[in-house]
Amino acid sequence: MEKKIKTKKQWTVGRVLLWVVLICVAVIQIFPLIWLVDFSLASSNEMFTKGLLVIPQKIQWGNYVKAFIDGHFLLYLKNSLLINGLAVLLVILISLMAAFACKRMIWKMSGLVKTLLLLGMMIPIHATLLPNYKIYNMLGLTDTIWALLIPYIAFSLPQALFLMTGFLDAIPVELEEAAVMDGSGIYRIVFRMILPLMKSSVATVAIMTFLNNWNEFMMASTYLSSPTWKTLPFSVLEFTGQYSSNYAVQFAVMALTAAPAVLVYILLNKHITKGVAMGAVKG
Amino acid sequence: MKKLYSNKLVIASLVFPGLLVFLFAILAPICLSVYYGFTDYSGMGAANLIGFDNYKALLKDSTFWLALRNSLLLAIGFICIQHPLALIVAAVLDKLQGKAEGFFRCVYFIPNVISVAVIAYLWKFIYNPDFGLLNNILHIFGYQGKVNFLSKEYAIWSVLIVLIWHGFGWGMLIYYTGIKNIDPVLYEAASIDGANKKTTFLRITLPLMKPVIQINVTMAVISALKQMETVYLLTNGGPGNSTQFTANYLYQQAFKAFKYGYGNAIGVVFIIICLLVTVGLNKIFAEKTV
Repeated sequence: MEKKIKTKKQWTVGRVLLWVVLICVAVIQIFPLIWLVDFSLASSNEMFTKGLLVIPQKIQWGNYVKAFIDGHFLLYLKNSLLINGLAVLLVILISLMAAFACKRMIWKMSGLVKTLLLLGMMIPIHATLLPNYKIYNMLGLTDTIWALLIPYIAFSLPQALFLMTGFLDAIPVELEEAAVMDGSGIYRIVFRMILPLMKSSVATVAIMTFLNNWNEFMMASTYLSSPTWKTLPFSVLEFTGQYSSNYAVQFAVMALTAAPAVLVYILLNKHITKGVAMGAVKG
Repeated sequence: MKKLYSNKLVIASLVFPGLLVFLFAILAPICLSVYYGFTDYSGMGAANLIGFDNYKALLKDSTFWLALRNSLLLAIGFICIQHPLALIVAAVLDKLQGKAEGFFRCVYFIPNVISVAVIAYLWKFIYNPDFGLLNNILHIFGYQGKVNFLSKEYAIWSVLIVLIWHGFGWGMLIYYTGIKNIDPVLYEAASIDGANKKTTFLRITLPLMKPVIQINVTMAVISALKQMETVYLLTNGGPGNSTQFTANYLYQQAFKAFKYGYGNAIGVVFIIICLLVTVGLNKIFAEKTV
């Protein structure tokens, strides 16, 4: 109680300075985005202003209508959600299985296999763009969902495995022993007992995988050519060519494609922060 | 129990999917890269084995060295600008408590969840000489000319600013978590001993954060090496290779200059550099902590 009163009174120079720093950094981080939204609601002619922001004479919702329709927003959003959802699901399953096998099962090569799988963390993704393009082309996988799903899983797997093995350590072996006594098989132990126990770890892996892949476009633009499986970033990429002189609509499509991730982040802010923090500190 | 846990068939079934993905998506392409790195393949037609010619050419390729220099500049920018700032902001944020803490944390991280595609084009507009935000800010401060931020002289610095800005929240969050994990008893003890805020930060926060700083620095160097997407969209390495990065360069060589074999040779060297740097940094930091 005493402490509380004390801190409230202390509006010293230091404390003011502290707030100034925080607010300055916040403005630097967020102002470009405010600018983006502001210009997206103006008309292209109004942009050539001397001020920092424009007050649109008439709010141009039409920019967003154009962005929504011509940017194939719904299709690309659906693709992004589907591909990322599947990737997250598969990464969790595969990494959990591999983590269990390397950590708990008794076999000679467990250490070697784990190191091998973790090695992927050090490989730069973009170095595999050229050969993978060739491989997918040969196998007829380009322009299919697999061309994205496979590398997304592959490059999220090492980190997921790393996190999963760490989290698995925290689960007492005794629990498994009891389950074995009751006659459970390995699969039953992994999917019915371990998986529910690791809920928060699974959430961390899911968040990290999702953040890693949601905004990816380099592989997508290399391996895909038709719109069938293109993901959300393409709304922006394709638009700049199509509406090269209509800047306001370009701003609208950028704001629109950024919106889902920002909204989800603001809603789940606490969980995502916790997830990233757990993932990053352990990784 | 032991019998059940050493069942080879079960083990194989558990690791098989992981191994398959690794072999197919990481190991196989690397092997293919090694092969094409030894050829003069253009992307079409026949591939002839030419030994180490690509690698010899690479050693003399000034653009390749320029790309590495740019990675180094970026790493220095991360370590000398982004990280000290992130660490200080994290320490300040930790002292705030209450709603403001959550609010600022959220605001700082938002650029991180936005697609690189949006970020790159947004900054292209911010740098735009005609209606860009930065030139308008300069006008307010009385500067009348127009600065072309993406010209050959300034482009690399403009690219660095975008990358430092975009990654700030991520670094901040990791430092923030690290600081949150410090036992508050230590701070109490320090304040009883009469230490002021600066001493507390320098003598308690900083030393205890050492492992977190090391992890963050390692990740910064590696992400500086791996940089591609922002540069690809913002400048595509130009003007005149001044903002070239390794990954972008190998991509251009293979798909734009039709030197697919040469691109793969760059890729192989690129992978080796990344491996060496990762292992090297881990070794340096591991020795220091002992």
